[in-house]
Amino acid sequence: MIRLDKVSKRYPNGHYGLVDVSLTIRRGEFLFLVGPSGAGKSSLIRLLYREEAASQGEVFVDQFKLSSLRRSQVARLRRQLGVVFQDVKLLPQRTVYQNVAFAMEAVGASTRDIRKRVPQVLELVGLSRSRDNYPHQLSGGEQQRVGIARALVNNPIYVIADEPTGNLDPETARDIVKLFVEINRRGATVIMATHAKDIVNQMQRRVVAIERGRVVRDEVRGAYGYES
Amino acid sequence: MAMNLNGVSYIVRETMRNLIRNSWMSLASVSTVAISMFVLSFFLVLTINLNHVTAVLQSQVEMKIFINRHVPRSQELALLRQARHWPDVRRIDFFTKQQAAASLKQEFPDQRDLVALISKSNPLFDGYDVYTYRPQAIPQLAERFHKESIVHTVVYEGQVVSRLDKLSNILRWVGWIVEGLLGLATLFIIVNTIRLAVFARRREVQVMKLVGATDWFIRWPFVLEGMVLGILGSLVADVVVDGGYRWLTGAAAVALPFWPLAPLHSVMSEVLMFTLIGGVLVGVLASMVALRRFLRI
Repeated sequence: MIRLDKVSKRYPNGHYGLVDVSLTIRRGEFLFLVGPSGAGKSSLIRLLYREEAASQGEVFVDQFKLSSLRRSQVARLRRQLGVVFQDVKLLPQRTVYQNVAFAMEAVGASTRDIRKRVPQVLELVGLSRSRDNYPHQLSGGEQQRVGIARALVNNPIYVIADEPTGNLDPETARDIVKLFVEINRRGATVIMATHAKDIVNQMQRRVVAIERGRVVRDEVRGAYGYES
Repeated sequence: MAMNLNGVSYIVRETMRNLIRNSWMSLASVSTVAISMFVLSFFLVLTINLNHVTAVLQSQVEMKIFINRHVPRSQELALLRQARHWPDVRRIDFFTKQQAAASLKQEFPDQRDLVALISKSNPLFDGYDVYTYRPQAIPQLAERFHKESIVHTVVYEGQVVSRLDKLSNILRWVGWIVEGLLGLATLFIIVNTIRLAVFARRREVQVMKLVGATDWFIRWPFVLEGMVLGILGSLVADVVVDGGYRWLTGAAAVALPFWPLAPLHSVMSEVLMFTLIGGVLVGVLASMVALRRFLRI
């Protein structure tokens, strides 16, 4: 379970990323985080994987209390999470296979496990045939799938995606979201920040709307809610 | 820290890759370490030799104790037996004033007046020749003899030794200071080499951090790289010092046959130890410094 308890994030320049946010996300949920650019979606996501720390309040991810986490525990926290970034963060000089395998190497997995697990994940995201391609040989959607495969490869409990469809055309974006739904169906909790109004409206999942750092809406079967 | 075999092979692979990718910077680092370690060795060789000379001189230094006149022989011998067990006393020999006169005559056969004087009425004293283990102990030991009621005077030639001692102390300090400065310069250059390697791989480091690699797992290849640079540099210096010292002992044997140079193996064992420890330390420290900023994600 992820729980935010009256969390505020204030940046050194005085700007508030989040104001007094309380939120509970249970295991197995699929949650859209919506809101205009700069509303605080990314701030919230960065707090979850502890790239940033809350200024006030407390964030809990399972047994981890994020305000009092030592550096070695940050690594352990992140092994529970699979993070997908808008800019994907692929390593350009490594192939699709190597990019995904790298995430397993980094946590000290054995070569045998890597050889077994990576093809499974590539299969899941539909990239089995591109395994030896380099990122620049792939389309934006395919690159994002590599990012997702890398996030999944260590079997995370939570999959957190920060605008994974931000740079994709609507058709590709829909496929990516379908992939997340499939991931969720297989048991992972999915938290996805997005701008993709149509998709959110269509999916009928829990929607948490953030505006100017505050949660303004939290609906179990929600819509994006911005008609303008 | 527990590290399985996969981790080890990963680390070795990454280290080799870094070293080869930045081969020019690696070469520069090795050279800098070598120069720094050579200077360290230079001071080491100097102090080792100075200590060696001091030790050689020490073994020749003796203290003379003269005993008051008209002290019975039994008392003289009693102190002799006692003093044998004092710490710092390596050897103690008793001599009578007749023996002293005889050796004087032997040493200065041409000094007729002197010989005539000591033959007529011997003005010399009975006494002891004392040898010590450490020149530093001489003043204390002299003091101790002086407190004995039967002792008339204590004479020792401690100045040369204590001057040598002072000199080697000064040399040690100068060595530390010079080496400290050079060490900083070396550190700086290795830090930059490794920072280049880290910078080339900053995306990897970032991704590793984000997927939950521990700091040490990320650090190891770079630490190992620093160690390899440090050890290679030290070995270069050691080879040069070894060759140089062999040449020096050869040349000195001809030019200064009586000058007691410290033997090669004792010099090299110290030089090897200090340079390798120094090289490893500098390398490890440099890689830790270079990585600090990149691990803060």
